[in-house]
Amino acid sequence: MKQSEGKIGIRELMAIIMLSVGTKLTDDTPSILYSTAKNSAWMSMLLIGIVSIIPVFFLVKVFSVHKDKNLHQLNIHLFGKFVGNMVSFGLLLFGFTALVLDSATYADIISTMYFTKTPFLPIYLILLIVCGYGAKRGIEHIGSTAWLTIFYLKITLFIALLISFLQGEFKMIYPLWGPGIGEIVKTAGRNISVFADFYYLGLIAPLVSSYKSFKKGTLLAYLIVAIELVIPLIIFVMIFDFTSIEIMQYPFHEMILYISLGFLTNVETIFLPFWLIASFIRFSFYLYLVVLLFGGVFKIKEFEFLIPVIVVLVLFSGLAPKYGEFTIPHLREFFLTTLSPIFFGLPCLMLFIAKVRGDFKHEAAKESH
Amino acid sequence: MFKLLKKIAGRKKRLKPDQSKNTLTEQNHQKEQFISAQIEENLDLMNEIYQIPHNGDVKIRELKLGGSGRKAAILFISSIADVRTVEDSAIKPLLANTRENAGIDEIIATQNVTAFSNIKSLVENINLGNAVIFLDGSTKAFTFDCANFQGRSVEKAESEVLIKGSKEALTEKVIVNLSLIRKRIKNENLIAESMTISKRSHNVVYILYIRNLADEKLIANVKKRLASLNVDAIQNLSLLEQYIEDRRLSLFPSLLYTERPDRATSFLEDGHIVLLMDNSPDSIVLPATFWSFFHTAEEHYLRFIFGNFVRVIRMVAMFITIFISAIYISVTTFHTEMIPADLLLAIAGTREKVPFPIFFEILLMEAAFELIREAGLRVPNPMGPTIGIVGALILGQAAVEANIISPIVIIVVALSGLTSFTVSDISLNFALRIIRFLFILSAGVFGIYGMTALFIMGLFYLVSLKSFGVPYLAPMSPHYVSSGDTIFRRVLTHENFRPGYLKPVDIKKKGDGAAK
Repeated sequence: MKQSEGKIGIRELMAIIMLSVGTKLTDDTPSILYSTAKNSAWMSMLLIGIVSIIPVFFLVKVFSVHKDKNLHQLNIHLFGKFVGNMVSFGLLLFGFTALVLDSATYADIISTMYFTKTPFLPIYLILLIVCGYGAKRGIEHIGSTAWLTIFYLKITLFIALLISFLQGEFKMIYPLWGPGIGEIVKTAGRNISVFADFYYLGLIAPLVSSYKSFKKGTLLAYLIVAIELVIPLIIFVMIFDFTSIEIMQYPFHEMILYISLGFLTNVETIFLPFWLIASFIRFSFYLYLVVLLFGGVFKIKEFEFLIPVIVVLVLFSGLAPKYGEFTIPHLREFFLTTLSPIFFGLPCLMLFIAKVRGDFKHEAAKESH
Repeated sequence: MFKLLKKIAGRKKRLKPDQSKNTLTEQNHQKEQFISAQIEENLDLMNEIYQIPHNGDVKIRELKLGGSGRKAAILFISSIADVRTVEDSAIKPLLANTRENAGIDEIIATQNVTAFSNIKSLVENINLGNAVIFLDGSTKAFTFDCANFQGRSVEKAESEVLIKGSKEALTEKVIVNLSLIRKRIKNENLIAESMTISKRSHNVVYILYIRNLADEKLIANVKKRLASLNVDAIQNLSLLEQYIEDRRLSLFPSLLYTERPDRATSFLEDGHIVLLMDNSPDSIVLPATFWSFFHTAEEHYLRFIFGNFVRVIRMVAMFITIFISAIYISVTTFHTEMIPADLLLAIAGTREKVPFPIFFEILLMEAAFELIREAGLRVPNPMGPTIGIVGALILGQAAVEANIISPIVIIVVALSGLTSFTVSDISLNFALRIIRFLFILSAGVFGIYGMTALFIMGLFYLVSLKSFGVPYLAPMSPHYVSSGDTIFRRVLTHENFRPGYLKPVDIKKKGDGAAK
């Protein structure tokens, strides 16, 4: 009832987060974790989940005193005009790179796992066109679409995981500590940026119907997503065991290729559309964020019109590394490692500056008046 | 020289009244006059306006009042006025009157008598089927209601058929329709505002809403849209719909069209607005959401479980209609590994002699089905069943035997065609049929990937649609307070709220635990 034009409610926010972060378990993120933490990757993930709560919580905290600002405006407010713009520009570069690498990865999944005879370009093109269309519709409609589909997506994911769990061998998760605690912690530290998306959520903070919904929605969705990412990591190991899992690039898709359902021996095509829907929504959202940030940094009010330009940019940047067959996973790994300290450090810095500037006191004073 | 000629020609034209009086502005000018005290002048004017005696059904009865002997005349259109009323309640008492200075309203025995002094209102009254009395020496003329338009009587609903529940349908007479709705809402707050929306034919639309319930802004918005029309004639609601809808090129309808008075009534009671018009055996409900097209009235008349069972069937049928042909194409062309081996062999066996690709086969058969459907609709009644048998059985059988189509394709297409009939709303039905072809195309090009891409684009489009400011998929998303009547319905005693997206003045429609 209270919803006004262009804003999303807590349902839509949670659905977006769960789709955009939750789908990470289906790409090569697990294999990056498996490559160093071996069969104990789930512990690294758990650790990441526990540690990442700090920057996420700090970020939410900072927004409690700047309810009408988005991340970019907040950066300018906290760091000053020049440094703030530089930070936002850096974020834009990271966001754009993430969009390029992730979308190229997803197109690669589609072309290597499902459409082996179709060339990469048309698959990538369609992915980007659909996401461009979604981004053009705006956050409100991305949110609505996410909310309308999330139950069906999560139910099918749950079914897939359940079947795998039943067909898997529980003993395979041993040795419990895998390559040793040190390696687990190191892996967690390098890849803490798995949850970096939450930092970008700050961009749509003022577009959520109320701060309360933003806070509640973000934290609740964080909890769900963290669990959602840990459990499949265990199940993948149960199905494939640790030696084979290290060489798999997309364990989720290998898993749905592997399992069978009664008289249907090959069920991956049943799960494919659901996963595709999640991916389309995810990249629509990413594209929207990148364009929003681009509009903010370069002061373009009607940023929706940038979408075709950005789509073309993403398309060509995504195509380039494809020709070096193995570059994208490496780039992604490198990217995750670079982003990790930034994701962890920035929110802490922001909270610190906000404290020093006395924003919290102002807010308290304002509220008491 | 030329100018001079033109001037002379122009003057000639002005001298000939018959030729120039046909324009709308001059007709209006004529009607701006006031009634004269000389009855002959009035009758001359009326003769001119109605082109008597060319106009065969416009009747003037001249007479002298029995008491005073003053001249009087009664004018009416005999095809739309009730002649018996005119004779019994007007002509007879006027002639039989004996008092010398009795007023017209004292003589005439009809439900109402109204006096007018300008020609314009008189003409409007006559066009509505009323009769007018001119009196010599009076600058006022008197009208009384005696309209009697011909039309059907109330009949059974034909396109929205129910087993349980009321069988009445709206008819072409708006008065009857109003009566059917007022029969269901016995409340003085049910307002039926009338509004003339066309310039020449003077078509009247009735805007129905419940005062103190429907959102004032919404009512104002609807009135504004209707008032902004600048059209000579809008014959009925089907045409009006296309003038006032939000997106004229959209595949999805944004105004609900129902022929059931009970359905229109339940929408009114939730705070919607209903439009009625003469010549339309239906009503328009606005704003409409996707769900209102998906629902029928019966699901609420049936008990909770039965009603929801019907909804499940319809949802499944909708998906089958849209997807089954496309899925068959993509699975057999792109994802053959998912078909169990035996079935795959069976499909391959039936396709052995068929020379076409599956995509073309399906397209051919779907097109044939649409042809049969359209033809079946247009053939004269007695031939209908024949066409059905020829089309479905013989054509299909022969096509299979001639190795043009494989039998599985017949099953697939028959299923998709049959299931499309479960959606009773004609607009949504058309939308689904067209969407089906889009999915077939996308499946032919890109298999499941193409279908999913189209599906998600469609969903993005659907959530961004609005009907009079109301999101198309509300209250599911964006979320609003409501009775949650979307895919499923709740137990009737728990459907406590009016839909919040309408911003009704009073959101609650039942007490908690309405039937304790």
